[in-house]
Amino acid sequence: MIILDCDDLFDTWRQQARRLLSHEIDPSLVSWDSDGRVDLFANDESVPDAPGPFQARIPMALLETLENAARYRGDQRWNLLYEVLWRVSHGDRTAMMAGDKLGSELQRRIKQVRREAHHLHAFVRFVERPAAEGPQYVAWHEPAHDILHSASAHFIGRMGQQRWLIATPRDGVYYDGEQLIHQRQCPPQWQQLAQQVDDPHGELWLTYYSHIFNPARLNPKVMQGHLPARFWKNLPEGVLIPGLISQARTGKQQDGQASGIAGRAGKVLKVQRTL
Amino acid sequence: MQLIDKLSILADAAKYDASCASSGAPKRSSEGKRGLGATDGMGICHSYTPDGRCVSLLKILLTNFCLYDCQYCVNRRSSDVPRARFTPEEVVTLTLDFYRRNCVSGLFLSSGIIRSADYTMEQLIRVAKLLREEHEFRGYIHLKTIPEADPALIEEAGRYADRLSVNIELPTALSLQTLAPEKQLGSIKQAMQTIYTGVQTVLNEPRAPKFAPAGQSTQMIVGADDTDDSTILHSAQALYGNFRLRRVYYSAFSPIPNSPKSVPLAAPPLMREHRLYQADFLLRSYGYTAGELFKGPGHLALDMDPKLAWALENRAVFPLDLNHAEPALIARIPGIGLRTTERLVELRRQRRIRYEDLARMRCVLAKAKPFFITSDYHPQQAEVTSHLLYQQLRDRPQPQQMGLWG
Repeated sequence: MIILDCDDLFDTWRQQARRLLSHEIDPSLVSWDSDGRVDLFANDESVPDAPGPFQARIPMALLETLENAARYRGDQRWNLLYEVLWRVSHGDRTAMMAGDKLGSELQRRIKQVRREAHHLHAFVRFVERPAAEGPQYVAWHEPAHDILHSASAHFIGRMGQQRWLIATPRDGVYYDGEQLIHQRQCPPQWQQLAQQVDDPHGELWLTYYSHIFNPARLNPKVMQGHLPARFWKNLPEGVLIPGLISQARTGKQQDGQASGIAGRAGKVLKVQRTL
Repeated sequence: MQLIDKLSILADAAKYDASCASSGAPKRSSEGKRGLGATDGMGICHSYTPDGRCVSLLKILLTNFCLYDCQYCVNRRSSDVPRARFTPEEVVTLTLDFYRRNCVSGLFLSSGIIRSADYTMEQLIRVAKLLREEHEFRGYIHLKTIPEADPALIEEAGRYADRLSVNIELPTALSLQTLAPEKQLGSIKQAMQTIYTGVQTVLNEPRAPKFAPAGQSTQMIVGADDTDDSTILHSAQALYGNFRLRRVYYSAFSPIPNSPKSVPLAAPPLMREHRLYQADFLLRSYGYTAGELFKGPGHLALDMDPKLAWALENRAVFPLDLNHAEPALIARIPGIGLRTTERLVELRRQRRIRYEDLARMRCVLAKAKPFFITSDYHPQQAEVTSHLLYQQLRDRPQPQQMGLWG
């Protein structure tokens, strides 16, 4: 058994996998283990020093597919990719397809990764800070997969020349107005900036959120499907959710109006019909 | 009145509009530029409220003062609701603030009719113009169009907005006459025609100024009167055909405070709305026609999705051999969607399709089973009568504790 560590870097894995493949080393004989744990059946076999004779031919799309799937955090993260690469390079393209057992797992991972990138685009919440230098907008986010670097370029288009920072428990990105800087270990100063920022004007958004909700259509199950509870704690509106649900259940469900509006004086309009 | 008070009133007044999509806009980016905002064609749902609906845009009314007296509308002039009015600048401030926070992808602005249709339309345009020209805002803008407004104003709106919409609200002239006496089916369709012409004019002219590049949509209220699903879907089909609408939204009528006697005070018919959306999707993406879904007047079945219902009515088409059938027909098998159809076609170029492939593609096998053949599977249920299949496949809702306000 050959034990490898690619430090969760795709390029490193790619070099290792290319070398292994050139010697036609079977996937069952290789194991990537980024935590450095020693496999029960491990011995000290190592990767050959020089490239081997096998010339692998793979479709162009495969590399991109593998790179996408590599962002998935989970068991067999790198082993699975080598198995796919092995089968496709030996002429079995079904290994990339959803109809195949391995392929469907590959596609499931890609889907999860895509979904997590979308979650970043949707659920990051920037807070403005008074800043002559450094980031003007900061956000704290906890993605489940390694999508931060590849997915955060999205905000360059959105925010224009503003400077912004997204900190996570693992990595972090900072856009200084000209370029995107990615740190694999998020600097503690960044994490502090993002987690300890004051938001004096946060009320407006919370007001909007409570009033655009229609209690007569209460449907918490559908909501949780789209907005998993793990994101609530980092969303400003997250704290409102349980209250809005229970208010709707205890009577607000009769009509669509928010309770804050029902309590106010209304105004019937008397008009001369001119239209 | 404080901005935050206005926001609470005018968001509450806007919630009955179902649409909140931010998709379909052309690619725009603020990278390295002054200003703010980007679009890339994909919509983003930045949050979800506990009703399960997506929050993609800041959806508000400019004002809920209104001259009209549409019975289904909370903002009708005879309704006893608190009233407020934003200045255009206030709407701009809110839009930019929420956008920077990444809470929304743009603005969906509508309004009650004040003074006149033209005046109201001018106010809406003014907000969009301020955003685009003074603040170089490149995010998504959806403007509600006032049907009676001057066509020249609608054309101006189309130059700033990504999407325009005219709400038809009720699909027949008779329903409109009863519940929305100030509205005319004729002027609504005229406004749709103006937008359609505007979109068509710039369609193949890459240098022409953009006109509502995300097209137009509309909304129909479901359950405010006794119009049936067949009428609703036939008119949706006509709207898709005549004006190339991107979407027709269906909004289950929500009971409103101080409800007039002319509209029901009952829980919104959410399942009916859901079935209409399913059927609408069959019209837009699967190539079904409304005539195929309805044998005559009436409603869609509530206990069965419309695709399954169609399959049970058309057993002669099935079972289909997945290794040979036309893709368009495969997509008509209940439980097999467009994406799975694509994957099956891709897979069968490599090898023959087997039963277990379908399980792996996560299609709804319980629904699909009677309707397909693979190299290792032939459905036993192929000979079972449609009536019996209906009994087996219809949705049986779990018994539920009744709510206090049922």
